[in-house]
Amino acid sequence: MLQYLVILLDDTSVAYCHADNPLKEHNLTPLETLKKGILFGMKQNLMIQYVFPNYELPTAYAEVIESIDNVKIYPIGCKPVTSIEDGNDIDVEVANDVPEKVEAKNLVLRLTFSEMLKQKNEIAKLFVLGARVNLCIIDVEQFAEEQIETYKQVLNEWNTTLLNLYKQGKSPQFNLLTDRIMLEKMHNCEAGVNNITLAPNGKFYLCPAFYYDEQMKVFNQLNHHNPSSDNSVGDLEKGLDIPNPQLLHLDHAPLCRNCDAYQCRRCIWLNRRLTWDLNTPSRQQCVMAHIERNASRALLNDIRKVSKFMPEIDIKEINYLDPFEVRKEF
Amino acid sequence: MTIIKAQQESWQSGMAKNITFIVTKDCQLACKYCYLVGKNVKERMPWDVAKTFIDYVLDHETDPEFAEESVVWDFIGGEPFLEIELIDKICDYIKTELFRRNHHWFNSYRFSFSTNGINYHEKAVQDFIQKNLDHLSIGITIDGTEKKHDLNRVYKITEKGSYQDVVKNIPLWLEQFPGSGTKVTISSVDIPYITESVLHLYSLGIHEVNINVVFEDVWQEGDDLKFEEQLMQLADAIIDGGYYQDYACSFFSEHIGKPMNLERDNHNWCGAGKMLSVDAAGNLYPCTRFAQYSLRDKDAWIIGNIHDGIDKNKLRPFLTLDLTTQSPQKCIECEVASGCAWCQGENYDAAKTHTVFQRATAICLMHKARVRANNYYWNKLYRKLELEDLREQYEAKKREVKPKIC
Repeated sequence: MLQYLVILLDDTSVAYCHADNPLKEHNLTPLETLKKGILFGMKQNLMIQYVFPNYELPTAYAEVIESIDNVKIYPIGCKPVTSIEDGNDIDVEVANDVPEKVEAKNLVLRLTFSEMLKQKNEIAKLFVLGARVNLCIIDVEQFAEEQIETYKQVLNEWNTTLLNLYKQGKSPQFNLLTDRIMLEKMHNCEAGVNNITLAPNGKFYLCPAFYYDEQMKVFNQLNHHNPSSDNSVGDLEKGLDIPNPQLLHLDHAPLCRNCDAYQCRRCIWLNRRLTWDLNTPSRQQCVMAHIERNASRALLNDIRKVSKFMPEIDIKEINYLDPFEVRKEF
Repeated sequence: MTIIKAQQESWQSGMAKNITFIVTKDCQLACKYCYLVGKNVKERMPWDVAKTFIDYVLDHETDPEFAEESVVWDFIGGEPFLEIELIDKICDYIKTELFRRNHHWFNSYRFSFSTNGINYHEKAVQDFIQKNLDHLSIGITIDGTEKKHDLNRVYKITEKGSYQDVVKNIPLWLEQFPGSGTKVTISSVDIPYITESVLHLYSLGIHEVNINVVFEDVWQEGDDLKFEEQLMQLADAIIDGGYYQDYACSFFSEHIGKPMNLERDNHNWCGAGKMLSVDAAGNLYPCTRFAQYSLRDKDAWIIGNIHDGIDKNKLRPFLTLDLTTQSPQKCIECEVASGCAWCQGENYDAAKTHTVFQRATAICLMHKARVRANNYYWNKLYRKLELEDLREQYEAKKREVKPKIC
């Protein structure tokens, strides 16, 4: 069920997930489009998530933006100034480098795998700042078998930091390691299922990455029965029209529905890029998610040595990193 | 003339890797129901592409993709025998390399062909057959009576029917491959000719007729009722004429027309992804139906090439496909679902999105019509046998065509 409407306020709105935003020209969402988007969200009972560019919007936008309860996703250091300071504590700052300080309660840190390795100590320092840290690896497709042990090792090092914080009575939140220890079922991106994106052109997309692809003319046809729709899944005039919507749901993803790497993003954009089917994850995504899952299991076991913690959570020991290898046992 | 051992349609079924060379996209014919929309005379496989591909496959003997006990090297076109010299060279190289490498497929391989039969009698083809006779499967496609055959199977420029040029080779083919079956395809215009065509094929000495309706959305309103009527006529003819004792037609099977057991039967119908195909450019496909010349509306689903190998991510959707994930609810709940087939390539081509997980259901009414006629066939046949006290005897040695899983 849809719960969130992501509104890209400009073509250059900050990328906050796996996909980089290749669009460099400012193209502000027209005010009328923004108003219609907000109205759509209100009627569908959706929480609005605005994604900001790194420049200040015209003053006329502030009032419209604040006409509804919202979450703001913005480039770090570019906190949007609107007429209303709502003190929303779930706003999200996005950084492409490890910041020294974080103002929002949520940080999305977008790094390549090698950048992550180089800055692992600086990343560990973020855990003590109190903000939730969402580390997003932006070159998942490059992840190679030789990097498996390296990834295990760096997660293990972060586990040590996190464990010490738990011992001090703190509750650090780091998506790769602490989400899974609190989850009893899949909690993924769910693009097209619980959230949908409105682009500056007034059209809906499964997520911002599908809009970027369309603008860059990459793989730009989602609905083959309606070729002119390119990658969009509806617009503000006609509403949503998601082709094959069942394939976005967990029960139509044969590998994922039997999986317990509950923290995995299950990025459908990566799925389409790497396996060409929205419901099928690549080996890279599965292996990385399982390394995280197993590291989370180790963290949970270590935390339980010093305190009772989430007794209802059970992360079983498994002997594979890619559920594809054991698919016949499902 | 050497008698070649009886053909086994499902040689090493389930244990053999199926590897297909698209040796040419050219064909003498332009069959009206042909799903190949991109046939041309230009894309002929060069020898170096074939050799590099064979080397790639044999170099990866220990990979899970090539772990099957046996291999079927399939040659397809267009019309494969247009490239008989290349095929001969390929087969010689495969045999030599299997021996040289002491490969586990050595002496567990077969060369397989589906041909229009037009140049079957020519010396080059016959020399090849004699040379490889212990490891050969050849199927000639003949659609039935001259009228039915020539309705669709016509030469590409003159549009002249090809029946006479094919039927003259049937005796030679049956002499070399006794017990062979033929493959018949039914589209909307063919429905009135089904009964006479099957009986005609029986009269030519073909004991096994594998017949199926096209998966594409070509059906007209009322076709299902005409189809049912034809199949009932065919049932009467087979039973009243006593053909059921020595002949088989795949339309009639005791295993079709039942609800699916979702615990037991929740697997994929087709072998796309387990098979491997290569074209003249050296691109690899999960099945030939995913090559561009087979697709109307979608881009080719290329899973790699002969130089870089297989991108295993591109195979994952195929190898995780099951019945329930790709089927609409009406198919899952269908009371007569068993035996209702699909083609993964057609599913992909007809799908709303770039997916192999959306089952095309254009044959729904045709399958239901087939089930009704099939029920009629078995009820009538068994009643006759019971009255003649021959049922037990029949069941002990009955011949049945199993649907060919591609």
